[in-house]
Amino acid sequence: MQEEKLYEIFQKYAQSKGIELNKDKEFVFELIKGLLRNEERYGYRSCPCRLASGNKEKDKDIICPCIYSAEDIKEYGRCYCGLYVSTQYNQGKIKETIVPERRKK
Amino acid sequence: MLRRVRLYSLSTCPVCKKVKEFLASNLIEHELIEVDTLESGEQWLAMKELKKINPKETFPTVVVEKAIVGYDEEGLKQILEIKN
Repeated sequence: MQEEKLYEIFQKYAQSKGIELNKDKEFVFELIKGLLRNEERYGYRSCPCRLASGNKEKDKDIICPCIYSAEDIKEYGRCYCGLYVSTQYNQGKIKETIVPERRKK
Repeated sequence: MLRRVRLYSLSTCPVCKKVKEFLASNLIEHELIEVDTLESGEQWLAMKELKKINPKETFPTVVVEKAIVGYDEEGLKQILEIKN
Protein backbone atom coordinates (compact mmCIF):
# COMPACT_ATOMS: atom_id res chain seq x y z
CA MET A 1 0.00 0.00 0.00
CA GLN A 2 1.23 3.46 -0.82
CA GLU A 3 2.37 5.72 1.97
CA GLU A 4 -0.01 8.56 1.03
CA LYS A 5 -2.97 6.19 1.02
CA LEU A 6 -2.05 4.84 4.41
CA TYR A 7 -1.68 8.39 5.73
CA GLU A 8 -5.27 9.11 4.65
CA ILE A 9 -6.54 5.91 6.28
CA PHE A 10 -4.74 6.69 9.54
CA GLN A 11 -6.10 10.22 9.47
CA LYS A 12 -9.65 8.92 9.12
CA TYR A 13 -9.07 6.43 11.91
CA ALA A 14 -7.73 9.19 14.17
CA GLN A 15 -10.75 11.39 13.45
CA SER A 16 -13.11 8.55 14.27
CA LYS A 17 -11.40 8.15 17.66
CA GLY A 18 -11.28 11.85 18.49
CA ILE A 19 -7.49 11.98 18.22
CA GLU A 20 -5.08 13.24 15.54
CA LEU A 21 -2.04 12.24 13.59
CA ASN A 22 1.15 13.92 14.76
CA LYS A 23 1.37 17.31 13.05
CA ASP A 24 5.00 16.54 12.14
CA LYS A 25 4.19 15.02 8.77
CA GLU A 26 7.78 14.05 7.98
CA PHE A 27 7.94 12.10 11.25
CA VAL A 28 4.59 10.43 10.47
CA PHE A 29 5.85 9.34 7.06
CA GLU A 30 8.97 7.85 8.66
CA LEU A 31 6.66 5.83 10.92
CA ILE A 32 4.51 4.78 7.96
CA LYS A 33 7.63 3.57 6.13
CA GLY A 34 8.54 1.56 9.24
CA LEU A 35 5.06 0.07 9.47
CA LEU A 36 5.17 -0.96 5.81
CA ARG A 37 8.63 -2.44 6.28
CA ASN A 38 7.33 -4.50 9.20
CA GLU A 39 4.33 -5.61 7.16
CA GLU A 40 6.68 -6.70 4.39
CA ARG A 41 8.97 -8.75 6.63
CA TYR A 42 6.58 -9.99 9.35
CA GLY A 43 3.21 -9.91 7.62
CA TYR A 44 1.69 -7.43 10.06
CA ARG A 45 2.14 -3.76 10.85
CA SER A 46 3.84 -3.88 14.21
CA CYS A 47 4.98 -0.72 15.98
CA PRO A 48 8.15 0.55 14.24
CA CYS A 49 9.62 1.62 17.59
CA ARG A 50 9.43 -1.82 19.18
CA LEU A 51 11.23 -5.03 18.31
CA ALA A 52 8.76 -7.51 16.84
CA SER A 53 9.19 -11.25 17.24
CA GLY A 54 7.80 -12.23 13.86
CA ASN A 55 5.04 -14.16 15.62
CA LYS A 56 1.74 -12.37 15.06
CA GLU A 57 0.07 -13.92 18.09
CA LYS A 58 2.91 -12.84 20.40
CA ASP A 59 2.96 -9.36 18.90
CA LYS A 60 -0.77 -8.72 18.71
CA ASP A 61 -0.48 -6.07 21.44
CA ILE A 62 1.96 -4.00 19.35
CA ILE A 63 0.17 -4.16 16.02
CA CYS A 64 -0.60 -0.54 15.18
CA PRO A 65 -2.57 0.99 16.79
CA CYS A 66 -1.12 -0.82 19.78
CA ILE A 67 -3.31 -1.72 22.73
CA TYR A 68 -1.40 0.77 24.89
CA SER A 69 -2.06 3.77 22.64
CA ALA A 70 -5.34 4.98 24.18
CA GLU A 71 -3.85 5.00 27.68
CA ASP A 72 -0.63 6.66 26.50
CA ILE A 73 -2.51 9.36 24.60
CA LYS A 74 -4.66 9.99 27.65
CA GLU A 75 -1.67 10.22 29.98
CA TYR A 76 1.11 11.66 27.79
CA GLY A 77 -0.75 13.17 24.85
CA ARG A 78 0.75 10.73 22.39
CA CYS A 79 1.16 7.04 21.74
CA TYR A 80 4.49 5.29 22.35
CA CYS A 81 5.86 5.95 18.85
CA GLY A 82 4.18 9.33 18.41
CA LEU A 83 1.97 8.51 15.43
CA TYR A 84 -1.31 9.25 17.19
CA VAL A 85 -1.61 12.24 19.47
CA SER A 86 -4.22 14.31 21.23
CA THR A 87 -5.36 17.70 19.95
CA GLN A 88 -3.71 19.33 22.97
CA TYR A 89 -0.42 17.67 22.06
CA ASN A 90 -0.54 19.00 18.51
CA GLN A 91 -1.34 22.43 19.92
CA GLY A 92 1.86 22.27 21.99
CA LYS A 93 -0.05 22.31 25.26
CA ILE A 94 1.50 19.08 26.52
CA LYS A 95 5.14 18.95 27.53
CA GLU A 96 7.19 16.66 25.32
CA THR A 97 8.23 13.59 27.25
CA ILE A 98 9.47 10.06 26.64
CA VAL A 99 6.50 7.71 26.87
CA PRO A 100 7.47 4.80 29.14
CA GLU A 101 7.03 1.31 27.75
CA ARG A 102 3.90 -0.34 29.15
CA ARG A 103 4.53 -3.64 27.44
CA LYS A 104 5.47 -6.39 29.87
CA LYS A 105 8.52 -8.43 29.00
CA MET B 1 40.03 8.61 29.01
CA LEU B 2 39.01 5.73 26.79
CA ARG B 3 35.43 5.74 25.61
CA ARG B 4 33.14 3.46 23.66
CA VAL B 5 29.71 4.52 22.42
CA ARG B 6 27.09 2.05 21.24
CA LEU B 7 23.66 2.79 19.84
CA TYR B 8 20.99 0.11 20.04
CA SER B 9 18.52 1.02 17.34
CA LEU B 10 15.71 -0.21 15.13
CA SER B 11 15.94 0.47 11.41
CA THR B 12 12.23 1.39 11.35
CA CYS B 13 12.23 3.85 14.25
CA PRO B 14 12.33 7.59 13.48
CA VAL B 15 13.44 8.50 17.01
CA CYS B 16 16.42 6.18 16.53
CA LYS B 17 17.12 8.08 13.32
CA LYS B 18 17.18 11.35 15.28
CA VAL B 19 19.77 9.90 17.64
CA LYS B 20 21.85 8.70 14.70
CA GLU B 21 21.73 12.21 13.25
CA PHE B 22 22.68 13.71 16.61
CA LEU B 23 25.70 11.44 16.92
CA ALA B 24 26.71 12.11 13.33
CA SER B 25 26.37 15.89 13.58
CA ASN B 26 28.47 15.86 16.76
CA LEU B 27 31.05 13.60 15.11
CA ILE B 28 30.68 10.93 17.80
CA GLU B 29 32.29 7.71 16.73
CA HIS B 30 29.99 4.85 17.68
CA GLU B 31 29.00 1.28 17.06
CA LEU B 32 25.55 1.00 15.56
CA ILE B 33 23.59 -2.10 16.51
CA GLU B 34 20.50 -2.21 14.32
CA VAL B 35 18.81 -4.95 16.30
CA ASP B 36 15.88 -5.71 13.98
CA THR B 37 18.21 -6.40 11.07
CA LEU B 38 20.33 -8.98 12.95
CA GLU B 39 20.02 -12.71 12.51
CA SER B 40 18.23 -14.48 15.38
CA GLY B 41 21.34 -15.58 17.28
CA GLU B 42 22.99 -12.19 17.02
CA GLN B 43 19.72 -10.50 17.89
CA TRP B 44 19.32 -12.61 21.01
CA LEU B 45 22.84 -11.68 22.11
CA ALA B 46 22.31 -7.98 21.40
CA MET B 47 19.06 -7.98 23.41
CA LYS B 48 20.78 -9.77 26.28
CA GLU B 49 23.44 -7.04 26.36
CA LEU B 50 20.86 -4.28 26.06
CA LYS B 51 18.80 -5.73 28.91
CA LYS B 52 21.77 -5.47 31.28
CA ILE B 53 21.78 -1.70 30.97
CA ASN B 54 18.15 -1.05 30.03
CA PRO B 55 15.84 -3.71 31.49
CA LYS B 56 12.90 -2.29 29.53
CA GLU B 57 14.77 -3.16 26.29
CA THR B 58 13.58 -0.03 24.51
CA PHE B 59 14.93 1.83 21.50
CA PRO B 60 16.91 3.94 20.99
CA THR B 61 19.39 3.26 23.78
CA VAL B 62 22.80 4.86 23.77
CA VAL B 63 25.42 3.19 25.94
CA VAL B 64 28.55 5.11 26.78
CA GLU B 65 31.35 3.13 28.35
CA LYS B 66 34.37 4.88 29.74
CA ALA B 67 37.56 3.40 31.03
CA ILE B 68 40.17 4.82 33.36
CA VAL B 69 43.54 3.21 32.99
CA GLY B 70 45.95 3.38 35.92
CA TYR B 71 45.54 5.62 38.97
CA ASP B 72 44.15 8.76 37.47
CA GLU B 73 42.55 10.54 40.43
CA GLU B 74 41.03 13.34 38.42
CA GLY B 75 39.74 10.93 35.81
CA LEU B 76 38.22 8.68 38.50
CA LYS B 77 36.54 11.63 40.21
CA GLN B 78 35.15 12.79 36.92
CA ILE B 79 33.83 9.43 35.78
CA LEU B 80 32.41 8.52 39.21
CA GLU B 81 30.99 12.02 39.66
CA ILE B 82 32.84 12.52 42.94
CA LYS B 83 32.89 16.15 43.96
CA ASN B 84 35.72 17.91 45.91
